[in-house]
Amino acid sequence: MNYSIIGLKAGLEIHQQLNTGKLFSRCDSKLTKDMPDTLLKRKLRATTGESGKIDIAAVFETSKNLDYIYEVHNSNTSLIETDEEPPLEIDEEALSIIYTVCRLLNCNIVPFIQIMRKTVIDGSNTSGFQRTCLVGTDGYIETSKGKVSIESVILEEDSARRVSEDKNSVTYRLDRLGIPLIEITTAPDMHDPDHIKETAQKIGMILRSTGKVKRGIGTIRQDVNISISGGTRVELKGVQEISAINKIVNNEIERQQDELSMNRKVGGEVRNVKSDTTSKFLRPMPTSARMYPETDLPTIQTNFKKINSIKLPELISSRIERYLKIGLNKELSSMIANSSQNNIFDKILETKINPTLIATTILSTSKEIKRKLKIDSWNFPDEFYCDIFSFLADSKITKDSIPKIMERFTKGETLEKIVKDYKPISDSELKKIVSETIKENSKLPQGALIGKIMEQITGRADGKKVAKIIGDLTK
Amino acid sequence: MSNIGNKVKIKYFGSEYEGIILESSNKDIHLLKLVNGYNIGLPKKGSKVKVLGKANIGLKLDSAPILKNKSLPNISLISTGGTIASHIDYKTGAVHPMTKPRELLGKIPELKKIANISVSEPMSIFSEEMNSEHWSKIAGFVARELNKDDIRGVVVTHGTDTLHYTSAALSFALEGLSKPVAIVGGQRSSDRGSFDGGMNLICGVHYAASDIAEVATVLHGTSSDDYCIANRGTKVKKLHTSKRDAFRPINTVPLAKIYANGKLEKHSNFELRHSGKVKVKSKFEKKVALIKYSPGMSPDILKFYEEHKGIIIEGTGLGHVATPWIESLSKLIKKGIFVGMTSQANYGRVDPYVYSTGRALANHGVVYLEDMLPETAYVKLSWVLGQTNNIEKVRHLMVSNIRGEYSKKSNPNSFLY
Repeated sequence: MNYSIIGLKAGLEIHQQLNTGKLFSRCDSKLTKDMPDTLLKRKLRATTGESGKIDIAAVFETSKNLDYIYEVHNSNTSLIETDEEPPLEIDEEALSIIYTVCRLLNCNIVPFIQIMRKTVIDGSNTSGFQRTCLVGTDGYIETSKGKVSIESVILEEDSARRVSEDKNSVTYRLDRLGIPLIEITTAPDMHDPDHIKETAQKIGMILRSTGKVKRGIGTIRQDVNISISGGTRVELKGVQEISAINKIVNNEIERQQDELSMNRKVGGEVRNVKSDTTSKFLRPMPTSARMYPETDLPTIQTNFKKINSIKLPELISSRIERYLKIGLNKELSSMIANSSQNNIFDKILETKINPTLIATTILSTSKEIKRKLKIDSWNFPDEFYCDIFSFLADSKITKDSIPKIMERFTKGETLEKIVKDYKPISDSELKKIVSETIKENSKLPQGALIGKIMEQITGRADGKKVAKIIGDLTK
Repeated sequence: MSNIGNKVKIKYFGSEYEGIILESSNKDIHLLKLVNGYNIGLPKKGSKVKVLGKANIGLKLDSAPILKNKSLPNISLISTGGTIASHIDYKTGAVHPMTKPRELLGKIPELKKIANISVSEPMSIFSEEMNSEHWSKIAGFVARELNKDDIRGVVVTHGTDTLHYTSAALSFALEGLSKPVAIVGGQRSSDRGSFDGGMNLICGVHYAASDIAEVATVLHGTSSDDYCIANRGTKVKKLHTSKRDAFRPINTVPLAKIYANGKLEKHSNFELRHSGKVKVKSKFEKKVALIKYSPGMSPDILKFYEEHKGIIIEGTGLGHVATPWIESLSKLIKKGIFVGMTSQANYGRVDPYVYSTGRALANHGVVYLEDMLPETAYVKLSWVLGQTNNIEKVRHLMVSNIRGEYSKKSNPNSFLY
């Protein structure tokens, strides 16, 4: 496809959940699979916005006259989520994270932030609106194809999760409602799918670099705005996999071209991306008539001194370069840089132990042991890694004994006790064991011999050292 | 010169913002509505404003005359203010009363299919501003509407904070009530999709068209939008600051459940619609007080009330105050001041005989008001003293069951209904 002839203009809207409590209630932001404690059934009605006009998207939803059923879990829901109580003040940590993100995206920060109500009456917000506020404007990021402008950085509440629906009703779960979301909107500065992908990946990387965003399925959502010559903007909602962007964009271009060729109007609508990368009509494009102030909360004055004193996190991309330089391979560099355990990794690097050993221990050995023992909800504490590598640095254990130590630790023994069993064997003692074993098993080939000896010394000496001693003794 | 309402471009340090300037309570900032709908504030100091023109904002609602449908009942709506009749003032961002009650009907188009509704507006205030003069005025409006032959019932819209005081006041002030009077409020404002006053008003209109000739509050029965409960005006209290179903029956059960489709389920006995005319007795005495006793509270506070005509005490438990109060209260009673005892326990009946303090208080002339709510007792005393100054008559009226304010028997289902 020749995208410049088609006149492709694309912008991105990225929504990322923050790993803090809920934005306007002091509730946990953990999702749940439990049975709900209560069900509520509500209706929503279309309202007039600030300009006196009823938002067209709102009219569309009300015309369906659905019942909205809300699943309430007492563990993560308060009267604020059930729309029975005014909101509390904004979550300080979420605000500080968005300030950090604004700085990483080279944005200007709004001096007085007013929290707004954005009318949403598809039932996904119990109140009939989403609380949202504009924090940053006029930023940019660098990409391989030039600067991409960041139009706005917004902090808002996530909506409730759609659980099921039938002809007359939609059921939502309130656990997700109110989780802080950062919405980043770019200008339509991208002109081909690869560039969209690169930009989305870069913004995702910047967000993850803060170490304060939620990870996993559904925690980041991308919308792509697409227009081609002859049409106006169409919003594609819910692009889950960045890798599918090429297909999704091409499908949409073809759809728009088909419509235009039949002299139909294109644009002004929101479409939902389906799992087969095609899309279906969701609702008309909302207008600014849907926004008005959240009267239950005061405006927030930005403290620029505080913002300027925020220590910016190292970007994951810089981290990867740093790890490559100290000899980690590409895959491990990327894995550890993206991992939430990169802090502890950096700390252990100070012991001067081989970085690859540290990275594989943290990333894969731990997983293997958990898999072997069938544990998934538990993780090795950071202090454990610090301790075990300082023991190694002080030659109190050998590196080959690490997996065995980890396994016993997982089973509940204390590290101090375990380590005693893995003291390295002195060279003279090792020589004695090797020579005795050779005597008893003179007919065994060298490989099997090493295996037998290693079994006997339970990792308390290095395999290479054993091989060398065997070589010396059998010369 | 004020730039409010102007379309502008503002340069503030590195950024340029385009939008409309709104009124702000903070005089040092420009509150700007951006083209994308977001409001932001920019310090006036450091802002360079370029005016682009005049903007056109403001609330315009359907206020076209509504045609009468002869097959529907005629209901009179009396709007007094409060959340239910509030909308957002987009200039200041504050919640303000609607200027035209018709705006409310424009927001709830379903009403046109239920009744022909005429609207009057004696006042537009939040309910914390209400006093007995307002009660009198509302009672006058209600009676005038009720006595029109073609009017089937009346709906009063009211702020929720003191709605239950007004419902009690109307209960006493309207004598020989022959038609329904619903008092309706809302806990969520009408600007939101989740406006609860919409269903409350619909159910209130159904109530007003029903055969229940009582003053009742009509608001959500649960946190869901499933039905409203009609509670007798003298037996109801706001038990939650913000929930939809805050209005609960006390020491009784609701008169009825009312669904938005008009279905009405009877839950207790009530007066039936009849053809008599309603008399207004809307004089209320102002020199009355409701005093909540708290542990350690000095009886000196009672000195302030020596010029009052009556006081209601919200005592502890079964109706007690500390011993030093007995003498002070006795003094007031001897001066001819009525002293009534209720309980701060919310539910249940006061009883002077269980403990010696109660017996002493009763012996000194404190009148125990059984299971009457303190708020209702306060309103009733104000009303009774508005009708007579004869202390014997006052005492007699205060213990008589005039508007269902007393329950003869305590219903086992009524607690935490």
